[in-house]
Amino acid sequence: MPCDFVTVQTYQKIVLVRITKSRLTDAADIAAAGAELQGIIDCHPKVSLLVDLSEVQAMSSQMLAKLVATYKGVQRDKGRMALAGVSKGLMPLFKTTRLHKVFEFAKDPQKLMLLWQRKPL
Amino acid sequence: MSLQMHAGPPPAHGDCILDEDVASRPDLKEQLIDRYAGLLNDRGWVIGGELNWLHLCLEETLVNAMVHGNEGDPDLSVNVTIWDDGDSWELVVRDRGDGFSPDEVPDPADPDALLFEHGRGILLMQDWLDELRYHDDGATAVLRRRKQRTQE
Repeated sequence: MPCDFVTVQTYQKIVLVRITKSRLTDAADIAAAGAELQGIIDCHPKVSLLVDLSEVQAMSSQMLAKLVATYKGVQRDKGRMALAGVSKGLMPLFKTTRLHKVFEFAKDPQKLMLLWQRKPL
Repeated sequence: MSLQMHAGPPPAHGDCILDEDVASRPDLKEQLIDRYAGLLNDRGWVIGGELNWLHLCLEETLVNAMVHGNEGDPDLSVNVTIWDDGDSWELVVRDRGDGFSPDEVPDPADPDALLFEHGRGILLMQDWLDELRYHDDGATAVLRRRKQRTQE
């Protein structure tokens, strides 16, 4: 079932995912977002995946787990993944769980996408 | 930070300002979170940006109790109490399950655990709370934090 708070845009082999929900704490929402992200991995081998979280103000550990699962899937398929728009309020979640050492955080998503276009996988 | 685990129930922590049993129904969770957070916020104990952390802690604790402790059985209740000892508030959430072993919680210092897809909720709560401990072999979570207005 399509997820109404996740938009997906594809530019060549780069996939930009925007999550447009401020709170990612509800189990059904998290399951839907996770399924959407998994679907992208399934459809796009060696994907360059940019997840825009600029509208997200809060998320639970369950959503962090979905992002980790997505990261592992992308790595397994020899792709690459970055997060964009992580707010000051959200960043402590990544630092506390040390996931800031796992994920690449794009300060300038457009710049990163241009870089990925110049260096395709 | 190590996990505090005690076999017996938690002791009283000052005055009890809320004591209720709620059904293990995740669909009611948001309402409960808003109510408990509102109760602490109305007293000025948790305010401003700190409310996001309180919501996170309530979310993690209620999910653990309803989904893991009570295994999603709506007939099993979760007992919630909130205490006030003057300097700090304490929220106690007790499920009807058998608890858990601290060994089940990944060590955040272990690089091999970095990509595990579970076990981060406790770590997040420990980061904000002054104290997080478990009683009844893990079936009861006790969350304690100093009142915000006394810190400022």
